[in-house]
Amino acid sequence: MKRVLTSLEEAAAFVSDGDLITFGGATFSRAPMAFVRELARQKKKDLNLIDREPAMDFDLLIGAGCVAKVRSGMLAFEVFGMAPNFRKKSESGEIITKEGACQPIIAGFRAAAMGLPSIPVKGMLGSDLLTISEVVGSQKQIEDPFTGETMIAVRAIEPDVAIIYAQKADEFGNVRIEGPFYEDVIKAKAARKVVVTVEELIPNSEIRKMPEATTLPHFIVDAVVEAPRGAYPCSCFNYYEPDYDHIKEYLKAAAADRFDQYLDEYVYRRESA
Amino acid sequence: MNASIESPELMIYAMAAEIENHNTVLHGVSSPLPVLAMSVARQTHAPDMAYISGAEGVDPEIDRIYPSSFDPRLNRNAVAYFGLHEAFDLAQRGELNVMFLGAAQVDRRGNTNLSVIGDVERPKVQLPGGAASAFLMPITPKVVIWVTRQSSRVFVKEVDFVTGQGYDHRSEEHKKNEIVVISNLGVMNFKNPDRVMQIQSYHPGHSVEEIRENTGFDIQAAPDVKETPAPGRQVVDLIHRLDPDGVRRSEFR
Repeated sequence: MKRVLTSLEEAAAFVSDGDLITFGGATFSRAPMAFVRELARQKKKDLNLIDREPAMDFDLLIGAGCVAKVRSGMLAFEVFGMAPNFRKKSESGEIITKEGACQPIIAGFRAAAMGLPSIPVKGMLGSDLLTISEVVGSQKQIEDPFTGETMIAVRAIEPDVAIIYAQKADEFGNVRIEGPFYEDVIKAKAARKVVVTVEELIPNSEIRKMPEATTLPHFIVDAVVEAPRGAYPCSCFNYYEPDYDHIKEYLKAAAADRFDQYLDEYVYRRESA
Repeated sequence: MNASIESPELMIYAMAAEIENHNTVLHGVSSPLPVLAMSVARQTHAPDMAYISGAEGVDPEIDRIYPSSFDPRLNRNAVAYFGLHEAFDLAQRGELNVMFLGAAQVDRRGNTNLSVIGDVERPKVQLPGGAASAFLMPITPKVVIWVTRQSSRVFVKEVDFVTGQGYDHRSEEHKKNEIVVISNLGVMNFKNPDRVMQIQSYHPGHSVEEIRENTGFDIQAAPDVKETPAPGRQVVDLIHRLDPDGVRRSEFR
């Protein structure tokens, strides 16, 4: 085992301009927000973002000018409504939006995790989303060789970097996720590089006491960063709830054309511990 | 006589009625109404249903809802976690009985649009995206589309973009699967030979005429059209207890 503990600044160097990246969590749950803010501070460019149901993580990077392309099943702020920067820049043409659907995105990650070039899924037939995906080359109708059934082959999605927010890890990258996993394990196995930012570092001896609690073993993980409250304002199960008031403040700033001020105050200012 | 019951409560009760006991049911993102409907069904006529939360808990004991339908507190006292990819496996096996999906537009053949208004390359309005719609709509035995603000702009003759597949965008096999549309005004189904949307029931305080006026195509009432059953006091109290902050009203503004 190699020690992979590093800083937020150095871990962000795993992400290059133009990379295809995905984040762990779902909407306001366990999104790696501290890492997202670091990407914005480092002024990453032309990122290509993919996930089934992202929210503030994607929207913040879009608003900070770090993003060229987005592919997601749904990108919104739950009951608070539209993702403001996503909507604005998609309508102005500043970003390219290629909508996916949750299953083909998840299945694409699963294919990559299994080392397969593609994987078949059901559904999709008859949707205009399939037509778009066939043009882009991410999905294709095929005939199952055994039953003749029409299936949709989904091309593997292998992100350059997957960034996961977890509750615990040791310095070697043995990671414990508590509560729901979402697709975090699949994404980590699918990606070329994996950065795990954690609420809390624990000793390797603790990990060894309960190996069944280890969600990701060290050889899948390229960097571990200790980032307490690093999912904030999203939730981290067993640690803190989402801060819905902060999320509303973000939306208010975007609606009032004060998003730059939001970035100044909460992002460009260094992360306080 | 039931005019005092508000639209969210009427819709939630009508949505709950679509769940049968022993059904396996999933809700997705941005889904306060489905979460409440599933909770009501479980505590009334469907105690044996399998409840799969979008927050990934199975059969959680929900004490209240939150602005996020993925809030981990919605997994309170769950018996297990079941990931979305596992729920999708279930759907492909035909074992997910009911799914609730939203729509920015729905048309007379049951197609839904959550993607774009205008040109897809340069949208006039970028919508949030269909999430699981295109995957689950054709293959799930029953999909309930909920729409909180019925108008002729939402109930259109043809959607701008087919995100979820209606009856004219399905294989013969998938035509067997049911679509139910529940709005703030009534319940619509497609139980006729042509598989076009018709009015199954109008909510208390509303009428067939009001639904027709707020639909962008010629919609007929089913021969057996009737008033939607209204929830009793106990159900209304349960909804209020589960949603003390009125999250359910957010989609009605």
